[in-house]
Amino acid sequence: MKDVLWLVQNMLRILFKSKKSVLLTLGLPIVGIIISLLMYGGTGTTNLHVGIVNHDSSRITTDTIKFINGLSHVDTKTVSPRTAKDEVAEGTLDCVITFDKGFTKSVESGIPDHIQIASIKGATVTGFVKSYLNNYLENIASFSKVANGHIDTYNQLYKTYQQSHFKVKTGTLKDTSKNKEMTYQTIGYLMMFMLYSAINLSGMITREKEGRTYFRLLSTPINSRKYVLANILTNLCVMILQIIIVIVVMTNVFHIHVSVPYWEIFVTLLLFALIAIGLSLAVVAFASSTSSMGAIENLIVAPTSMLSGCFFPIDVMPETIKKIAHFLPQSWLLDTINKLQEGQHFTGLYLNVLILLAFALAFFLIAAYKFSRNNQVSTFL
Amino acid sequence: MKVLELKNLTRRFGDFVAVDNVSLAIEEGEIFGFLGTNGAGKSTTINMISGLLRQSKGDIKLLDKEINKNKKFAKSNIGMVPQDIAIYEDLTAHENVQFFAGLYGLRGSELKNRVDEALQFVGLTSRAKDYPKNFSGGMKRRLNIACAIAHRPKLIIMDEPTVGIDPQSRNYILNSVHKLNEMGCTIIYTSHYMEEVEEICSRIAIIDHGKIIAEGTKEQLKAIITDTKDIWIGVHSPESLNISTLKAINGVNEVQVDEDVVKINSRADVNNLNRIIQYFINSGIEIRSIDEQAPNLDTVFLTLTGRTLRD
Repeated sequence: MKDVLWLVQNMLRILFKSKKSVLLTLGLPIVGIIISLLMYGGTGTTNLHVGIVNHDSSRITTDTIKFINGLSHVDTKTVSPRTAKDEVAEGTLDCVITFDKGFTKSVESGIPDHIQIASIKGATVTGFVKSYLNNYLENIASFSKVANGHIDTYNQLYKTYQQSHFKVKTGTLKDTSKNKEMTYQTIGYLMMFMLYSAINLSGMITREKEGRTYFRLLSTPINSRKYVLANILTNLCVMILQIIIVIVVMTNVFHIHVSVPYWEIFVTLLLFALIAIGLSLAVVAFASSTSSMGAIENLIVAPTSMLSGCFFPIDVMPETIKKIAHFLPQSWLLDTINKLQEGQHFTGLYLNVLILLAFALAFFLIAAYKFSRNNQVSTFL
Repeated sequence: MKVLELKNLTRRFGDFVAVDNVSLAIEEGEIFGFLGTNGAGKSTTINMISGLLRQSKGDIKLLDKEINKNKKFAKSNIGMVPQDIAIYEDLTAHENVQFFAGLYGLRGSELKNRVDEALQFVGLTSRAKDYPKNFSGGMKRRLNIACAIAHRPKLIIMDEPTVGIDPQSRNYILNSVHKLNEMGCTIIYTSHYMEEVEEICSRIAIIDHGKIIAEGTKEQLKAIITDTKDIWIGVHSPESLNISTLKAINGVNEVQVDEDVVKINSRADVNNLNRIIQYFINSGIEIRSIDEQAPNLDTVFLTLTGRTLRD
């Protein structure tokens, strides 16, 4: 074991002597955090920008608009029907509420109608306004049932309602969704960089073969198994360092709360480290030179990371892509992180853990098989 | 004592037989030249001796121990100087030697002393902290040797250690080979430079198409291709030369006079040069030059293999 550690020491020395390697190995995962921050950061308290198209300038419509404007974190702006669509498309407005002619009458008759809400951001945006608006309109529509068709009674009830004071105690729940999204995305980028870094480190085997130091090493008391073991251990050391750096920088420097105990994140990422090392060894086993290794790397790492949801949430992808992602280890790791963030216990995620371990084992076996058949005649003649 | 013994060593790659029943023995203290063209089986044999490749058939014994059963022992007693410069460009000269020496289990002060000793031996002490990328080809070759000798191996295999370097570095390396030999190391030396092999090797084997086709001292190899030698004697005035008297000297086969040069063909196994010179002195013929036209290793190699070593 002493000679393996001697090899590990030398591999780490070679790696960390190069400033470029240090930057790529330890700096890139931090870049991943920064990208996530840029994507999701600065959105702690967002205001919803609502456009109002008013074709029904009556008292109830005006009061409804006032109500919407009075909601916390909501800004309203009157827009013309012509520009409304453009502003939604450009993103200056999150949604547009259109009050068509007849809105007031529909409310007075007890069945609110002639109101539309439009957005391209979907239910996450419209849901918030809709829920408040439905509640408000249901209240004022219910007066017509009480008034039983008497317009004066309705007006009296409506006036009293508008002038009444309610004491409402509000409490704000902390929105952890952004932190979760940032953690999820940061881990997505970290996985991609871990794969690149693992292939780069395992690529040392190919580079040493090309530089002939590999054959010199094998003429010493070191054998190929010890050499590959040393490469795996070196890779593992570097990956553990990357994981620790990401967790520390993410939580202590950028104050992103991961919502999962650190050890669980660490163990989960350690599983991925094994997958990354296994895959990198398989790549090295199949690559006959550093250039072919680079080509295989480009063919595997970025596309699979994208398909697995490392760059953006997998929910936005078509169903077919989602099915493909089931065959990629990155998506299983992100799924594990997701479930941990949702509060599931680590021990309950044994299926995910087993699948991740199976991926690692499969890659190691493929690499071992290919290495054993790599004794090309040309190498020894 | 035999340092290395190969018996019926064979290596096949599919149907192709790279090394075919090679048997030879190298005695302690020898500088053994191993000659062969590219693809002759030289590197395959060396790879099997150094443990990089397992033989298909046959035995390899190092210091009387079968190397496949005593791999660690065998590898610890062999120092491999590969043909390609196999060093780390990202490590200093000192770190390179230290790393390779450490693989043989050396640690602490012993490691430090051996590293210093090896660097001193190849004349790189003053450049110990420099990176090989700043070295000349010759210096890299010397570092390549230092990495192979720090653990003090009994057998050093040098595969073309002087390829592509300047004459000064080449002389330095050849002197180093002599010094290592004087220090008790047995050396297997391969080279494309026949004059190097002729100069430093005590015994030589020629391998062709995977088989050893000749083996012995330089003289024994030369004797394989011819049993005669030509002695060319430059004289001032050959007019008074009596060819029949000269022919009567034991071993002389033929005498020809070509202007001022007397060309004598003689049996190679008869040492008659003194008597020939004595004849010229007695006859009052002034000798200007004496040149023995013996076949060199190039001729031997060409005759035996039909190719030159550089083919």
